[in-house]
Amino acid sequence: MNEGEQTGLATMRDCWITGGATFDLAPTAWKTIAGGASPDEQERRLLAIAAQALDVALRPAAPKTLKRRPPLPRLALPMLPERLRPLLRAALKHGVDARRKTRVVTLVASRGFVLHPMDWMPVASDQNSPDVYAPWIDWQASVDGERHAPQEKLTAENWDEFYPAARRIALADMRRSGPASARLLVEAKASGEPAEVRLALIELMRFGLNPEDAPFLKSLSADRSGKVRELAGRLLARLGEHGRSNDGGPGDPAAELAAFISEGKSGFIRRRSIYTPAKLKSPAQEKRRAELFETCNLVDLAARFSATEPEFIGAWQFGADNNADILIARMVAASGSDAAVTHMADALVADGGKPALFVLHLTPRLDSRRKRVLVRLILKDSKYLGALNLAEGIEASWLEWGDLTNGQTLPALRSAVAGNDDIVKRGIDEILETMGFLATAATAEKLIEDVVAAGMPPAAPSLVLLRLNASLAGGLEPTRDQSGEQQNERSHPPPCRAGLRL
Amino acid sequence: MEFDLKTIEALAPDQASLSAASKLTKRSNWPRLEKNEQQALIWGECQGSGSNPYRVVVDTGDHSYKCTCPSRKFPCKHTLALMWIAATAPASFAAAESIPEWVNDWLGRRRKTTPAPGQPTSGAAAKSIDEAARTDESAAVEDVAAVERREAAQRKRAGDTREAVSAALDELDQWIADQLRLGLSGFVDGSSDRCRRIAARLVDMKATALAGRIDEIPPRLMALRSEERPDAAIRELGKLVLLAKAWRSAPDDPELKRLVSTSETREQVLANPNARQVESFWEVLGEKIESRRDGLVSHSTWLLDLKSTTPKFAVLLDYFPASAGRRSNAFAPGDRFDARLVFYPSRKPLRALVAERMGEVMSGAWPDFSFGAAKDPLATHASYQDAAPWITDCPLMLPPGAILVDDRGTGWWQAADDPQGIALPIAGAVNQTLLGLDLAATAALWDGARLDLLAAQSGFGRLDLS
Repeated sequence: MNEGEQTGLATMRDCWITGGATFDLAPTAWKTIAGGASPDEQERRLLAIAAQALDVALRPAAPKTLKRRPPLPRLALPMLPERLRPLLRAALKHGVDARRKTRVVTLVASRGFVLHPMDWMPVASDQNSPDVYAPWIDWQASVDGERHAPQEKLTAENWDEFYPAARRIALADMRRSGPASARLLVEAKASGEPAEVRLALIELMRFGLNPEDAPFLKSLSADRSGKVRELAGRLLARLGEHGRSNDGGPGDPAAELAAFISEGKSGFIRRRSIYTPAKLKSPAQEKRRAELFETCNLVDLAARFSATEPEFIGAWQFGADNNADILIARMVAASGSDAAVTHMADALVADGGKPALFVLHLTPRLDSRRKRVLVRLILKDSKYLGALNLAEGIEASWLEWGDLTNGQTLPALRSAVAGNDDIVKRGIDEILETMGFLATAATAEKLIEDVVAAGMPPAAPSLVLLRLNASLAGGLEPTRDQSGEQQNERSHPPPCRAGLRL
Repeated sequence: MEFDLKTIEALAPDQASLSAASKLTKRSNWPRLEKNEQQALIWGECQGSGSNPYRVVVDTGDHSYKCTCPSRKFPCKHTLALMWIAATAPASFAAAESIPEWVNDWLGRRRKTTPAPGQPTSGAAAKSIDEAARTDESAAVEDVAAVERREAAQRKRAGDTREAVSAALDELDQWIADQLRLGLSGFVDGSSDRCRRIAARLVDMKATALAGRIDEIPPRLMALRSEERPDAAIRELGKLVLLAKAWRSAPDDPELKRLVSTSETREQVLANPNARQVESFWEVLGEKIESRRDGLVSHSTWLLDLKSTTPKFAVLLDYFPASAGRRSNAFAPGDRFDARLVFYPSRKPLRALVAERMGEVMSGAWPDFSFGAAKDPLATHASYQDAAPWITDCPLMLPPGAILVDDRGTGWWQAADDPQGIALPIAGAVNQTLLGLDLAATAALWDGARLDLLAAQSGFGRLDLS
C-alpha cells in the first residue's frame, strides 16, 4: 500500500466512523474498482478493499517501550519427564494450598527432578521450596533483571551481586561448613540491609550456632528492629545466655511467668522438684500466660527455679494442662538449647501416647532421625494419625512399607476406606496425601494396591500424590536436562539438596 | 489399552462426571469386564440402581463409546469409569474369545455410518455377485416415479434455499450499507443488538452459518481496545461483503456454501473424492472452546502435521449445545497420534475430520521448519487472505522469538533476530513465566488484530499456551 492509499484509507476510516459516503475520499485506484455502481454498492466495494488493506497491508505498531525479562535460569536438575507431567499437574491441582503444593515439589525434587516452569513456579517470597529452585525465586524477585548471581563463593565484595534467595542459601551453606566466616560476613553486611532482610540473615545463625556467636548476637540487643532484637535474644538463649539482667523485679517477665507455675516435690526416698501449671482463674490470665511463654526464654524461666534447662523440662508435669504443655513445647522450640530440645523430644517419645504429640512443636529443631522416629511413633498408634499433617520440615521419600505394617495404621486405613463415614474418609484422604509425600516409591505402590483392594476407587484424587510418587521410581526413560543434553536412565537419582529451605 | 488419566479427563463432559465416575471404579460395581485386543475393544456391565446392569463398550483405538444408560451427558459416568479402570487396572479385564452380541450390534452400526475411506462404498465392484444381484433386483423393484418425485423435490428445495439465501444476502448488503451510512461508531456501540437482529433475519432466510458468524462479531469487537474497534469493524464487515459476493458468483462452491448456509455431514465429507486426505503424525497444539451467543459451544482442536517440513495445520471443529455441559474429544494438548485426516474441501483446507486413527506417537520436538529468510511472520496470513479473504482466524508458525510486555501489560511476540521489527500483540493475559523463555517456534492464531497462542517449543520443551 503506497502513501497515498494509506492517507486515503485513514480519511475513509474517519468518515465511516461518523457515517457517510467515502467514494470521493478514496484513492484513485480504489475508485476505479468501486465505480460504476450504485452509491451503496460503491461503499461496500470500498469497504471490502479497506478490509483487505487493513488485514494484509498494515502491520501492528509496537510501542517502543516493550520490555523483556531476563531469561529464566536453568536449574541444576533435569526436568520431570513429559509423560509424568499430567500426573504432576493433577497432584498440584489437588494440593489446594501453598504448603501442600510445596510438598509435591519437594517430593519430585527428592527424586532428582524439577518441575516445568509452566506447571509450577515459586513466588518471589518463597522460603519453603527446595534449594534447587533458588534461581527461579530470585528471577521472580528481580525487576531490572540485569544482575546474575555469580558462580563463585559469596564474599563481602560480591555480596550485592547475589539475589536474596541465592545469598541466603550460600550463607546457610557457609554456616554449616565454616560458621565463623559466615558470621563475619553477616556482621559486615547485615547492618546495611533493611530490617526484613536483616532478620532473615540473622535467622541463618541457627545453623551451626556456637558460643563464638554470642558476642555478635549480644551486640544486636541494640538493633533498631524489635524483631531482630527478639530473635537475637532467642538465639542467645539457645546458647544458654540469659536474656535479661533484671533479676526478679516487677518488670521481669520470667518472674511473672514463674508465678503461673507451681513448684512441688515428688518421690518418697529421693525427693525431686516437679513443676505444674497453676490453675488459672480467667481467660485474661490465660492470655497473659500465653504472651509470657512467647516472649520469655527457657533459660531465664529455668533459672527462676534454680534449675538447668533439662532439669526443668524433666520435671515439667505433662498432661495437667494441655494449653500450658503446648506453650512450653513452643517455648522450648524457640529458645531452648539443643540439649533441652532433644531431651524433651526423647522423653516425650519414650512416654508415647498423646504427650508424644507435643514433639510436633519441636520438629523444626529436630534432626531427621528424631523426626522419623516421631512419624513412626504416630503411625504405630492409629489414634493420632491426623497429627502427621502438622509435622513440619519432615523429609520426603523415606517411609517403608514395614513402617505402615508395624502398627495399627494399615488396618485403620482399610476399615475407614471400607466404611461409610464421610468425615472419617476425608481424614483418610489427607493422610494418604501425606503418605504420598513420605513414602518410598515401592511403599506408595503397595499402599495404592492395599487401599484400592479395601474399596477405595482407583481413581480417587487422594491417591494422586501416591501415584506420582510410585511413578517416580527408578527406570525412568531418558530425559533431557535443562541444557538440552540427553541424560542417561536415572534409576537412582543423585542426591540433591531437596530439603526444606531456610 | 491406550488410556491414561489425562485422556479421560479431556473426554469428561464436566468435573461432576469425573467425580461420579471415580466412585464407579470399584471392581465390585462391574460384574463383567472383558476385552478383545484384536478389535481394540473393552466392554463391561455396570450394576446401576436398576435390575439390569448398564452395558458399556469403548473402542480403545479411537475412543468412541456406547452405554445403555439414559444419561444425556457424553460420555456418561459409566463410560468414563470403564476407561478409568482400563487406565489404572488393566488386569481387571478378562480376555474374551468372542464378542457379545450387543457389542457386535454397536460395531455394526458404527461401520454403517463411517465406511472406511479408500474402500469403495458402492458399485458392483465392491459387492459379491449375489449382493449385486440383490441390490439391482431391489432397485428394479423401487418405484421409478417415486425416485423422480423425490429428486424433483430435492431440486426444488435446493432452488428454494438458494433463492432464500440470495435474498438474505441482499438484506445483508443493505444492512452493511446502512451501518456505513449511520456510522461505525454507533455500530460498535450497538453491535450486540444490531448484529442479533440481522442474524435472526438471516436464520429465517436459511443463511444459518453466516448468521452465526455475524452474531459473533460483537464479542470479537469487545475483546479489543476501544480505539481498535472501528478498524476491526471495517475488517469484519468488509469480509462479509467479500463472502456475499463470492457466494453469488459460485453458490454451489462447497466452501462458500458451508460459510453461508449449511455444512456438509461427516459422511458427505468422507465420501467426497475431492476432499484432501493426509496421513501423517499429528500433534494437538491446543484447544479453543468458546460459548457462542446462539447457545452453542464451539470446540476447535488445532493440529500440527509433524511430517511436513513446512508448517501445516488442521482444525477439528465441533459444535454442541452449551446446555450439554463441557464436552471434549479424545485429545488433549500435546497428544500425538498417527492418523489419516480428511479435509473439508476449500481454498486453504484447514477444517478436517479424523478418518482413521492408527495409534499414538512418541512425544518430542517439532520438525525443524527452517523459517529461512522470510522476515514477515504474517506471510502465511497474507497468503490465506489472498486465497480466501473471508477467513478470520489464520494459524501461524512463528519463527524464534520472545514475549515482551508494554506499559499497559499487554504481551507482544517479537522475532528474536529482529528486535526493532514487527511485533504482534497477544490476546489475553500473558503468563509471567513466559516472559523469561526463548521460544524456538510458536504456533498461534492471528485474527488480524491479536495473536491467540496455542503452543510453543522452548529450551524447557513444549509449552501449552492455549
